[in-house]
Amino acid sequence: MSRKAFSRLVLGVTAVCVLAPAALLLVWSVTGRWPWPRLTPETYSLRTLRELLLGSGGFLPLLGSSIALAGATAALATAVALLTARATAFYSFPGRGLARFCGILPLLVPGTVLAMGLHLAFLRLGLADTVVGVLLVHLVSALPYCIAILTDVTAAVGLALEEQAAVLGAPPLTAFRGATLPRLAPGILSSMSMAFTISYSQYFSTLLIGGGRVRTLALVLVPYIQSGDRPLAAAYAAVFTGSALLVFALFEWAIRRMERRGAL
Amino acid sequence: MRKQRTAFFLLLPLLGVTALVLAACGFVLAQSLGHVPAFGLEELTFSYYLAIFRDGEFLRSLGVSLGIAAASALLAALLGTAVCAALTVGGRKGRGLTYVLRLPILVPHAVVALFTILLFSQTGLLARATFALGLIGDFTQFPQLLYTPGYQGAVAAYLWKEVPFVAYFTLALMSGVSDTLGEAAEDLGASPLRSFFSVTLPLSLPAVCRATLIIFIFAFGGYELPLLLGATVPKALPVEAYLAYMSPQLRDRPYAMAMYGVILALSVAMAALYAVLTRRLLRRMEGSGHE
Repeated sequence: MSRKAFSRLVLGVTAVCVLAPAALLLVWSVTGRWPWPRLTPETYSLRTLRELLLGSGGFLPLLGSSIALAGATAALATAVALLTARATAFYSFPGRGLARFCGILPLLVPGTVLAMGLHLAFLRLGLADTVVGVLLVHLVSALPYCIAILTDVTAAVGLALEEQAAVLGAPPLTAFRGATLPRLAPGILSSMSMAFTISYSQYFSTLLIGGGRVRTLALVLVPYIQSGDRPLAAAYAAVFTGSALLVFALFEWAIRRMERRGAL
Repeated sequence: MRKQRTAFFLLLPLLGVTALVLAACGFVLAQSLGHVPAFGLEELTFSYYLAIFRDGEFLRSLGVSLGIAAASALLAALLGTAVCAALTVGGRKGRGLTYVLRLPILVPHAVVALFTILLFSQTGLLARATFALGLIGDFTQFPQLLYTPGYQGAVAAYLWKEVPFVAYFTLALMSGVSDTLGEAAEDLGASPLRSFFSVTLPLSLPAVCRATLIIFIFAFGGYELPLLLGATVPKALPVEAYLAYMSPQLRDRPYAMAMYGVILALSVAMAALYAVLTRRLLRRMEGSGHE
């Protein structure tokens, strides 16, 4: 088998495996009845959409609070990661290796253990069952990925332009904002979209630390899957995933625009 | 020389996060050693660890979770590397597929569990297709893939998410190596296959191994997929631990924390093993370079 043929075969199979379940989900979300052993639904219905939008679940507020929480996580994690990346990329100090290790530390602690430990800590700190507590656990989970993305980008952009601006008399923050920030922007946006996705998908940590007071889409989706109402679970999952993809596409569009403008 | 004090201020938020992570681990470990002052337990003891390791149900749960993690990580590494190789060989044309590959990275685990149910359950699409082909006469004849002690469903769901993750994670390094050293090997007369297996693949291994470790730790401590797709007995360790945590018997708390302690200890041990192995591998590669 030739190289190109192998490549095409593998990529084709991959694309089908990735996309087929997503298509199946969309079909199920508008299914009325789909009895065994039919290969296609017997009837289609918009019942699920009606229940989502008009039902007692309060779907739209839930969507809003999930997006707000994920957006806050994205902004916070990216800001912390940006500061960390600058410190480890541009300064040499004793313990720089340790600082880098701290950046990946949350990856070495499994999510369930992290959530349980933080829950115990937050009980002491009065942060259990609060939005701030949930925000913090999402931040810790997202941070290592943001640091990895931004450390590479920060090192690649370098300091040369910023130092030139400083030599010409710009105060440090102005030099950073004018010379470095625009070129960091694509990295900042991809870090934000990564953190957004991670926060948006958290289930266990939100359940445990939110204590049922902080409700997100991920939290209510699981009982729907367990309930066995496949069309409704599928509709929930489709809207959940779709809204995440939409936000992601927005970030992507912004990155593209900035790259085009930067290239001019 | 830039000022060290500035670096310290820049690192303050990270130090805060690190303190939170260490405090989290500390609380879990302290309670697992029997220190829960709120419940009147003060004395430090290993007895809770000893007790769970004598408990058959815990040992089965541990086995299940190790199995899920190992199967997901190794299969994802193997298949993900193949996809990555196909992308590297495919050149620019295949790059449109990187968008498709990012989809599973974005889709939450609970949604992937639903995918798995819609496809692999006994009334799922695959069972219907098998029936349509006349291979089975009734849905009860379709093999049970979900809610089984083998956790095939959970592994399948992890693979859907993690094969693209490995490919995506490795792509930058592999295509970089392939465009430079891989090409050079071919210019010197190596066949494409030989160039891939003796140059491109070994040099891409660090990224593959790091991705494998991340997946192992993630799947070992993962909660949603084994909860939604797994058997009632034996449960995966994180599910079992949470159940023990929710127990109305407050004095059982240290047993639950000991289970979390085991999850933590084994994950850290895997990471340490990985660090030692990669360091040795690097040294050997450098050593053979001098010969």
